[in-house]
Amino acid sequence: MSSALRREQNRTTGTLLIPALAVIIIFTTVPALTTLSYAFFSWDGFQRSTFAGFENFQRLFSYPYLDQLTAALRHNTIAFIVIMAFQTSFGLLLAYAMFRVKRGLRVYRVVVFLPVIFSLVVVAYLWQSLLDPYYGPINQIITGLGVPELAKPWLGDTSTALPTLMFINIWRWVGFPAIVFLAGLNAINAEYIEAARIDGASESQIFRKIMFPLLAPSLTIITVLTFIGAYEWFDLPFVIGGSNGSPAGATDTLALMFYRLSFGSIDSGANNVGVGSALGVLIFTLVGFGAAFGSALLRRREVEQ
Amino acid sequence: MKISKIRGLVAALFAAVTVVAPGASIASANTEITFWSWRTEDKAFYESQMRLFEAKNPGITVKFTPYLNTEYNAIVATALTAGKGPDVIQMRPYGGMANLSDAGNFMPLTTADVPALKKLPVGILAGAQGYKDKKQYGLPYAVSALGVMYNPDILEKAGVRALPQTWAQLQTAFDKVKKAGFLPIGNAGGNGPALEQLHATVGPTFYGGTAFFNDVVAGKKTFTDKGYVASLKAVADLAKWMPANYQGIDYNTARGLFANEKAAFYIGGNYEIGYFRSLNPSITIGWFPAPKANAGAKRYVGTWADGAYAINAKTTQKAAALKLINFLGTKEFGQALVDEIAFIPTAPYVKINDPAVKEINRWRTTLGTPFLNVVGFRFENPTSSSILQPGFQKLIVGGTTPEQLAKDVQTAVASWYAPQKGKS
Repeated sequence: MSSALRREQNRTTGTLLIPALAVIIIFTTVPALTTLSYAFFSWDGFQRSTFAGFENFQRLFSYPYLDQLTAALRHNTIAFIVIMAFQTSFGLLLAYAMFRVKRGLRVYRVVVFLPVIFSLVVVAYLWQSLLDPYYGPINQIITGLGVPELAKPWLGDTSTALPTLMFINIWRWVGFPAIVFLAGLNAINAEYIEAARIDGASESQIFRKIMFPLLAPSLTIITVLTFIGAYEWFDLPFVIGGSNGSPAGATDTLALMFYRLSFGSIDSGANNVGVGSALGVLIFTLVGFGAAFGSALLRRREVEQ
Repeated sequence: MKISKIRGLVAALFAAVTVVAPGASIASANTEITFWSWRTEDKAFYESQMRLFEAKNPGITVKFTPYLNTEYNAIVATALTAGKGPDVIQMRPYGGMANLSDAGNFMPLTTADVPALKKLPVGILAGAQGYKDKKQYGLPYAVSALGVMYNPDILEKAGVRALPQTWAQLQTAFDKVKKAGFLPIGNAGGNGPALEQLHATVGPTFYGGTAFFNDVVAGKKTFTDKGYVASLKAVADLAKWMPANYQGIDYNTARGLFANEKAAFYIGGNYEIGYFRSLNPSITIGWFPAPKANAGAKRYVGTWADGAYAINAKTTQKAAALKLINFLGTKEFGQALVDEIAFIPTAPYVKINDPAVKEINRWRTTLGTPFLNVVGFRFENPTSSSILQPGFQKLIVGGTTPEQLAKDVQTAVASWYAPQKGKS
């Protein structure tokens, strides 16, 4: 390619990028940098007051915010580990089953993906009703089976609330990794699998030695998205447990804490934009670096077909 | 399209504008003011009242817009800090919007501008004052009162003949109700704010009501005071009369247990009565003030201003906005508010016709004490409520002790409230 042509091409590319870049800068970069600056000021309600240095960060790392921060971080981390382990492996299992199925693939695909497209509010309401300790059918079935001691206030007990939320999350989202993995499996060159089969490889050997390594790009995407989703977990805990992570903060997450601090709540009053922004900076750093580092690490083990 | 056709169109448009113009100048003589509220459920009520206002004030029209309750604060704050927003604003009480008042977003109201302010009690006026400058920024319109609601039919079946006057008698009544196969109380633990209201109802008799409120506001006493700890313990003690699996029962299910006549008592605010009746129109509801801690203690009815009407400091229609505020302060409007929405009116000159509201208000005026957290400690974060709401959920399942929770509240409040700084 001649250098003149390349220049011409670069110019066109640059021009075409301008609208998208402008949108990103105006609506993402500038607000993000502004939030960064918010963290270094004191606030009167929603009005910026004097420069405060690192005071907001100091407050974030003292009572009562530190207790809330460590609890929330712990919940996010547990959510990431558990969701990664169960949602991903179950999704992979479903994908493999759908890959192998001879008839009705379309029906299975729809069924598996259906909860993903349900409105979150509907999902939350559905499970809240099912799990209601007084009227809910789940506890009635458990009691009917003769083990009433297992009928718990699932969403109200501090020891079961978070696991229950994770279960609902997995139920809702498992179709997503399943469809991504299915696409990954379909992209594998069928000749590899056939060749292995002719060489006498068993199904499990084919899965472990051929399919799984070639699924690495899908796994990278799923891991990074699960990481971001888990550390920015907000919607389901908010709809079910409110902005305080009810009961007693057992379902609190970093994003809920950020929301509570920055906007306040009608139930408990005043906000603190400064400390909220300090937390925002912390979450951004954690998720940004975590996702970048994680995807770099995972890409290294991807293999070319 | 041909150029000539376009020219024709442009000419026609010009003609239309010139024809409309005289009409437009008439319209501009008419002042339109905007009025925001979080009471989506009262839209029809407010709109009919605004038509009455317009009839009395020719030349002014009011556009009433209610927003979702949970998003209202953020919407108002965003609009006002951007120098926009409506002319007249329904204002949250106490700490709910005090930071907006302190930042100069509302117009200070004087008794010369709004004479109705002169007739309101001091404690109610405080609900619409700035936290720092203590100026009056709003005209409070309603108050809430906390007490014990009961179902007379269930009490009769359970053989509870007299209404409990003391904490011990209340517990005896609970036992009788339980024995008769009903739930003693509908209150449960799934919702932190509801537990806080429960505490604000039964707690004041333990900590000594208004005297303690004044002392803790002045920094003479702290939340670790013996009486306050006892008031927290009272909430923990109630747990054994809550429905099974109470930790997980949410606000609506809890209220439903009382409304559907499964539970004999519900401890909370007068504003629940409307909800109970909407679920079960045939229910009979009785009301009495929370019983006293012991024979020597006093009874109290927790109370606070529910909200106020305020004017945007940046309004360009000051005169019209003041007219509207004064209309909202009239006896006629106050009367409609109590008759149609069953609110307890702030103004002493409004006549209450609803027998239940009348009874509650009679107790409120004699035994009223400020809702400690709402009136005193919601002005900065961490508010006392933000510690207590999750704290009560922990307390009722034994996850913390009343002493520890009291200490937690004290530490949180002392971190920003000057009279409590350095105290534990």
